[in-house]
Amino acid sequence: MASAPELLPYGQIREDLFRPLGGASRRYFLTTLAVSLVAVAGLVAWGIQLRYGMGVTGLQRPIFWGFYIVNFVFWIGISHAGTLISAILRLSDAAWRKPVTRAAEAITVFALMIGGMFPIIHLGRAWLFYWMLPYPNDRLLWPNFRSPLMWDLTAIVTYVTGSVIYLYLPLIPDMAQLAEHNTPWRSRLYRALALGWTGSDREWHALERAMKLMAGIILAVAVSVHTIVSWDFAMALAPTWHSSIFGPYFVVGAIFSGIAALLVVLATIRKTMGLERYLTRHHFNNLSKLLLLMSLLWAYFTTAENLTVWYGNAPDEMAVFGARTRGPYAVYFWTMVILNFVVPFVLLGIRRLRTVSNAVIASVCVLIGMWLERYLIVVPTLANPRMPSGFSTYAPTWIEIVVTVATFAALVMLYLIFAKLFPIIAVWEFKPHPEEED
Amino acid sequence: MHLIGEFREKEALIAAIQALKAGGFGPRDLAIFSEEPVEFRRGILDRPSHMSQIAVSGAILMGAAATAFVYYAQHDYKLTTGGMPVFSFWATGVITYEMTMLGAVLATFCWFLWESGLIRRRDKTAPIPEVNPAAMCLRVRCLPEQADGVHEAMYHAGATWVDRREQA
Repeated sequence: MASAPELLPYGQIREDLFRPLGGASRRYFLTTLAVSLVAVAGLVAWGIQLRYGMGVTGLQRPIFWGFYIVNFVFWIGISHAGTLISAILRLSDAAWRKPVTRAAEAITVFALMIGGMFPIIHLGRAWLFYWMLPYPNDRLLWPNFRSPLMWDLTAIVTYVTGSVIYLYLPLIPDMAQLAEHNTPWRSRLYRALALGWTGSDREWHALERAMKLMAGIILAVAVSVHTIVSWDFAMALAPTWHSSIFGPYFVVGAIFSGIAALLVVLATIRKTMGLERYLTRHHFNNLSKLLLLMSLLWAYFTTAENLTVWYGNAPDEMAVFGARTRGPYAVYFWTMVILNFVVPFVLLGIRRLRTVSNAVIASVCVLIGMWLERYLIVVPTLANPRMPSGFSTYAPTWIEIVVTVATFAALVMLYLIFAKLFPIIAVWEFKPHPEEED
Repeated sequence: MHLIGEFREKEALIAAIQALKAGGFGPRDLAIFSEEPVEFRRGILDRPSHMSQIAVSGAILMGAAATAFVYYAQHDYKLTTGGMPVFSFWATGVITYEMTMLGAVLATFCWFLWESGLIRRRDKTAPIPEVNPAAMCLRVRCLPEQADGVHEAMYHAGATWVDRREQA
């Protein structure tokens, strides 16, 4: 059995974790190139949409929200991996968090960057995005601050700012170490980003205090952000959207999908970077148990949400409920239930089956299931409005599909670049814990 | 001038700090350098911080400023609200909350930069020791006539080596 990383000599830890930064293999280049090409294809598809207008998408009255809003909600959900996992574990001083936190924090930043793009893509005339910003103008107009769209803007700006700082702060000591003995351009980059860090106790104290405070703040922001995303829906008097539990329901779903994304990323970097000694079965076991817990919570919320609709038997809500469970969306609905509940329950609930590979299988299922859940929240309600004459269907065009696929590629691309520039595990955090020392 | 001593054991470092403090040196004269954080019991080498208060102040300031701005903007160009109030805390509470949090984030970050000394003008002449991964270095600022006493205190406490450095 591999020894706990804390027991390894510090020099060994440093060497193991800094090694993946040096040089790039042919496989790394090819993978980065491939995902970059897919990401560029997404930009081209968006360019076509900008050139010819929103008519090239499958969006039409009354279904004005389709893949783009589904992706927006999905990616904002994924972004909860970093903040919640990292902040909760940091605040509770859980020692096993050490190899996990940075990977999680990086997911948050990249997922937010991608998720934050979707409202702009969805705007159609993206070049008018700046109208959302409250700047003095000659028409004396201000944005409508009562609009949930403005809430999204403020929430995402706060979350991105906080998450970038939360990722950056613990990177500073590692970058100061990387600035020594490196290639000239890398040394310059790390030195600039390390801000002249010397490793004095004054700096360490300030860093630890700032990280504790930031963990608390970012936790409050993360919960609020996905609640606000849910209010984009819940503030509309649309069937099945106008629900008081939408906030917690979305937050639970976000944490659920965030943990799944984190498990997939951790398993990938463990395999490709040879970090088996640092990302042990113990970490996957703990995260798997968290995923299982979130699966049960998700099942509870989904049942509560649907049962109240069914029991209420309001015609407009039953139209949506019927479309989801028996009608054209039933196949997606039951697939979602299997992927989000049955698969994790079997693979992670039975201890014998709770292996690293099964955790990854369950996580991939959860990611697909949670994307379907977002789709089932957005589309069936719009396809079945209160006026039966407005019933409609939605089918995405290739533009929307390419943009969607490109965002996944973009996340992989950003992660590959990040993992080549910065240590994916915080080296300095492998200090002996004070209590353990005593 | 400065003296730098290297320590392998935390207890030895604590003993050196206590001896130096007993000899009249304050926390301002002492600095520890290490590749990982070194934590002490309260009272050994405290570094008081105002970061929490600054974070709360930043949060209050930004939240209040954002709310005042929204109030001004909504009264400056009144939108039709269908009989509802032009400005309502219910409708703008989310913006107040998020801007309050943004204020806390920015204040914490800025104060971290200040308190850690990363952006503050430091004593550029003070030497910065190269630290071995498993060691901790104690830097003491003293007068030339105190150097022998500091040297002796660090050795006596268990320093592996002590080096005298003039201004860098």
